[in-house]
Amino acid sequence: MTVYETDVPGVGRKFEYELGGEDRLVVLIHHDGKREVFRRPSADADGTKLFELSDKQAREFGTILEGAYFQPVDLDRVEVPLGESIIEWTELPEGSPLDGESLREADLRQRTGVSVMAVQRGEETLANPESDFELTAGDILVTIGTRDEQGEFDDLISG
Amino acid sequence: MAEQVLVEVGIALTALAVGGALAARANQSVIPVYILVGILVGPNPPTEVGPVSLTLVENREFIDVLAELGVVFLLFFLGLEFSLERLVEGWDRLVGIGTVDFVANFGAGVALGLAFGFSPVETLFVAGVVYISSSAVITKSLIDRGWIANPESEAILGTLVFEDILIAVYLAVLSAVALGSGGVEEAATSVAASFAFLGALTLIAWYGTEYVERLFSADSDELFMLRVVGVTTLVAGAALLAGASEAVAAFFVGTAFSSTDHVHRIEDAVSPVRDLFAAVFFLSIGLGTDVTLLPEVAGLLLAAVVVTTLTKLASGTAGGFLYGLNRRRAIRVGVGLVPRGEFSLIIAALATSVGTGALGTTIPAFAVGYVLVMSILGTVLMGYADSLTAYAGESGPSLR
Repeated sequence: MTVYETDVPGVGRKFEYELGGEDRLVVLIHHDGKREVFRRPSADADGTKLFELSDKQAREFGTILEGAYFQPVDLDRVEVPLGESIIEWTELPEGSPLDGESLREADLRQRTGVSVMAVQRGEETLANPESDFELTAGDILVTIGTRDEQGEFDDLISG
Repeated sequence: MAEQVLVEVGIALTALAVGGALAARANQSVIPVYILVGILVGPNPPTEVGPVSLTLVENREFIDVLAELGVVFLLFFLGLEFSLERLVEGWDRLVGIGTVDFVANFGAGVALGLAFGFSPVETLFVAGVVYISSSAVITKSLIDRGWIANPESEAILGTLVFEDILIAVYLAVLSAVALGSGGVEEAATSVAASFAFLGALTLIAWYGTEYVERLFSADSDELFMLRVVGVTTLVAGAALLAGASEAVAAFFVGTAFSSTDHVHRIEDAVSPVRDLFAAVFFLSIGLGTDVTLLPEVAGLLLAAVVVTTLTKLASGTAGGFLYGLNRRRAIRVGVGLVPRGEFSLIIAALATSVGTGALGTTIPAFAVGYVLVMSILGTVLMGYADSLTAYAGESGPSLR
């Protein structure tokens, strides 16, 4: 991603941020702090103004964009320390050997050492699933175990 | 007497405020409106509406001093915004587009001046008035129209940067020539004296950055503003005493600040001072305008409007192609550069201060009429830029 920066005499500075291809976001920062944001979908098209923010609004809105208030869950890195054990949320990938197996068949406790505390499927969360619960790709398994056991589990589900 | 002056200045500023509000509502540039306000409340006709006298502001001395400060701070900010970065990046294109712009439009001005029988010095004034585009009107229009987000804005702003440097040189030469009394030797001496003064300023601007930085580090905005305004005004006044142009001196003081860390703070703390004085400057131009002279310059005015609109369109479009823009964007560059404004008026004010022959009468009247037409015509044309393209044929393949 390239950012082009130019001076606009008497007004402020202009930044162009490549979104991919010729699509660009153009941000004009005025000396008085006002921000104007335009989008130019291609080199031949004209920029259309999306919105304008005051200095204060821009800073607050910027921190939301930065993710300072709420981070989207990055499934690979969510960890809750619990003594030696940690809790991890892991998505069952497409083509995993566990896809279509029941928890009994998967026998995760024996094979890796982790216990399945809950399964999230779409909007639903099933706590403490029964042993005949059938896993499908896309399920998010909430498992508890040591770091090593979690590693074993990761290797297993990705096949 | 003092109470008289205070109430007149009050009337003038209130009229400006009302005019500015109307301009904002009509989405027009404030410059032509401020001039019209000055024409209305000034001592020249129109002097009355029925039984009501319209000659509200007659004490010119105080207003003229404020107006002088307006010129000083307009040029000071021009110097402040002067960025080497812009010059260095793509300087070859910049010089290309700037040269085309200068040759076409200054040339048209010279041709007009000679065709209408002005003397060489008067012709130089006319050429300056029609050459220089208005940074204030154009940047505001670019933002209002959203063109600022498009590639054509680079070419337009580049041209303005080139013009701004050239106008500093032009004003320096012109005021030395015009204010020198007559003889070639006299003129040469005053040119030399003013260039010596400006040269010294330039050296300070280049090598004194650190000093300027330290000297102007004040804690409170109030003290900071006073230092900047004080030093700028003092240097401009000293330049005038030395026979140099106060406007150009202010430009150099601005450049001395342009490479320090104070730029942003000046924008914040000193801009309001500039806006106030600049508004009074436009008003005072209106106050000094005798509309009864306009019929005398109508022929010149009409010729200048037609010819220099076309030359700007042509030179701007050519410059747009130099920047590798497609036809539609190149034509926009031409249209975008049509508005003339504050700098043409500064040249007119210089003509008034010389005050001999046509310089004191017809040229200022012409400049005011010209700016009124061009500042409004230019912004209106920008709305029709894309229809103009349709007349000029389909747009070719884009290079950008």
